[in-house]
Amino acid sequence: MRKQYAWRSLALAVCFAVIGLSVIAQMVRIQNSEEADFFRKRFDLYASKVETIYPARGEIYDRNGHLLAGNQIVYEIGVTLEAVQNPATIAQALTGVLGVNYEEIYTAITEPPEGQVYLALADFVPADQATALQQLQENLDAQPDDGAPERPSLAGLVFKQHLARSYPENSLGSNVIGFVNYEGRGFFGVEGKYDDLLAGNSVDVWVPVDPYRVEEIPQVPDGTTLILTLHRELQAAAEQILDQALSDYGAASGTIVVMDPRHGEILAMASTPRLNLNEFGNYAQLFDNTSEFNRAISMPYEPGSVFKILTMAAALDAGVVQPDTTFLDTGAIMVGGAKIENWDKRPWGLQDMTGCLQHSLNVCMAWVALQMGPQTFYEYMSSFGIGHPTGIDLLGEAAGRLKIPGDADWYPVDLGTNSFGQGVATTPVQIMMAASAIANDGKMVTPHVLYGMVRDGEQYNIPPQDAGTPISAETAHVLNNMLAVSLENESSEALLPGYRLAGKTGTAQIPTQYGWYASGVTNASFIGWGPVDDPRFMIYVWLEKPTTSIWGSDTAAPVFAQVAEKTVLLLNIPPDSVRQQFATR
Amino acid sequence: MHAYRQAPWRTRRQTIGLFLAVLVCASMVAALYLSVTSRTAIIGREIQSLESEISANRQRNADLETRLAVLLSNRETERRAREQGFRPASPDEIHYLVVPGYVPPQPVSLAARPDLRVNAPTIPPEYTQSLFEWFDEQMRASTSSSSPVGASQ
Repeated sequence: MRKQYAWRSLALAVCFAVIGLSVIAQMVRIQNSEEADFFRKRFDLYASKVETIYPARGEIYDRNGHLLAGNQIVYEIGVTLEAVQNPATIAQALTGVLGVNYEEIYTAITEPPEGQVYLALADFVPADQATALQQLQENLDAQPDDGAPERPSLAGLVFKQHLARSYPENSLGSNVIGFVNYEGRGFFGVEGKYDDLLAGNSVDVWVPVDPYRVEEIPQVPDGTTLILTLHRELQAAAEQILDQALSDYGAASGTIVVMDPRHGEILAMASTPRLNLNEFGNYAQLFDNTSEFNRAISMPYEPGSVFKILTMAAALDAGVVQPDTTFLDTGAIMVGGAKIENWDKRPWGLQDMTGCLQHSLNVCMAWVALQMGPQTFYEYMSSFGIGHPTGIDLLGEAAGRLKIPGDADWYPVDLGTNSFGQGVATTPVQIMMAASAIANDGKMVTPHVLYGMVRDGEQYNIPPQDAGTPISAETAHVLNNMLAVSLENESSEALLPGYRLAGKTGTAQIPTQYGWYASGVTNASFIGWGPVDDPRFMIYVWLEKPTTSIWGSDTAAPVFAQVAEKTVLLLNIPPDSVRQQFATR
Repeated sequence: MHAYRQAPWRTRRQTIGLFLAVLVCASMVAALYLSVTSRTAIIGREIQSLESEISANRQRNADLETRLAVLLSNRETERRAREQGFRPASPDEIHYLVVPGYVPPQPVSLAARPDLRVNAPTIPPEYTQSLFEWFDEQMRASTSSSSPVGASQ
């Protein structure tokens, strides 16, 4: 009996052992089978994925920390084709909310390319529209399933959020900021100039799907944040004054630039027309060519009489004339065989150099240039940076044109015409950079819009760049005083009560493509700075083709006064008398 | 000298006992392995979820910052100011005062302020110190607490 039990037990044990061994054998066989190899390869294929992480584009702030360019959440809306239940509902919903074409969406979903799993239907959808669609999707999902084949459903609709550029101030400072297109590329202004810095570096990251292999995803640093020298309120005021001036004087377009002549910091730079940066697709409707985006740096023009301050600076510095040097103005002068006349074609008699500036006498300035001679004159103009880009940190700066002796198209008469700003093409910032030497003790500064940059929590401020010393400090002081006196004597509309300012008007004829000057249309300009004893601001006004008056003294000068008034208020610059009181305490 | 051999039931019991011991050990190891791997998987999933949440929160922060900037934009600020009865001051309405120690506003600094908590130890010593260090610390603590207070002659 006991032996019988032993046999039974042994048989049972063998049976279990065989079963166990067959299970193990089967496991080993499956693990090493071709199918297992196939599945292992499939697993390796889907166990991880390489994702490109794009850092958030760096923000742009004004000098007081107001956000000018940031990022906002937008959505890519697509469909997972397998999950779609009712393509008609999806097409209808997208048409209703996004305004897209019904047929296009319906066809895309019902006739997808072979092998397609996911289909993107719309991108850069604003959050409110995406939320409306998500709400609709939830409402339809919540409805009881009545089994109807054509039951409305947004099943399969997928929302992927990502960041896109956004400009809280819309068109404010648009000509300085520039814009970013849907591909993330910066165009114009700061966005274009510092595109690489702002965009940051994308990183390819191995992201495991297998939770056992999960690793910390490296934090990709955001793009560099930029702080501009712009003063938001002053920029807004400059744009408002410019728009009003175009309306008041019937000008075709205009530019106003406000700069700190001590450091070259651009405080405001307004130009027309301006683009709402959140609607950059309208670019082609607003601009005929790229140079119109920011006239202050991209559109050289013949500046006219504002150029006379450079001629006088060169002559004073070269010792050719003194402020009290006199000139008998007979109303015309021959230079290189051509006759040069005053703006009013009449003689102004005996004038000192201040009088020449005050009455903006072309004949006198041509005589001054002749006294210098072409070599001295053009050497000074070159050291003032005329004919060269200033190096301002904005994309699309034009160099302008200064013909010099030896150029095929330079003629002796050019020395005379150049002396009063004809036959030479400059941008407003070029004149400002040159004039900064007069306002800043002879030292010229490079205009710039970047105040600092923030990366990895550290802020790096950009030091001002010296652009040379074309004239001595003494010359600068003398000319400063001459320009202030000439404004005061002229009772210019550019004067601002309480502040002593220096400046010069400019009225320039506009050359046509055929070589002669158009009649009846001018470029009206004004450059000025103050307070004269401690210049804190320099303002350039350019109105193109004003119709109420062709003269800079009637149009650009009063605009300068308005901008100067706003500038002293917003920059807290007290009147001269108050400053002197404070200084004596 | 007598030859002894164990009773057969005793040998069987030992064999069964040994088998059961191995079985229990194997079960314990398997259970422990299962528990650890399942927890690892859950935590792995949580990490993945938290990472995507971090990414979403960073995007939301950027979005909120921009929305705030829209509300504080120049146009909006001016509109609200006008609604509240403010208007731009004219030059003759401005009075300048000497304020001793007044520092004119400087351009903004956006550098991250140093956070002192970052440098503070955040991991409790239980997770970093060795048994020997803990023992040493306990000894020092007990020595200092048992030192006589005010024992002077």
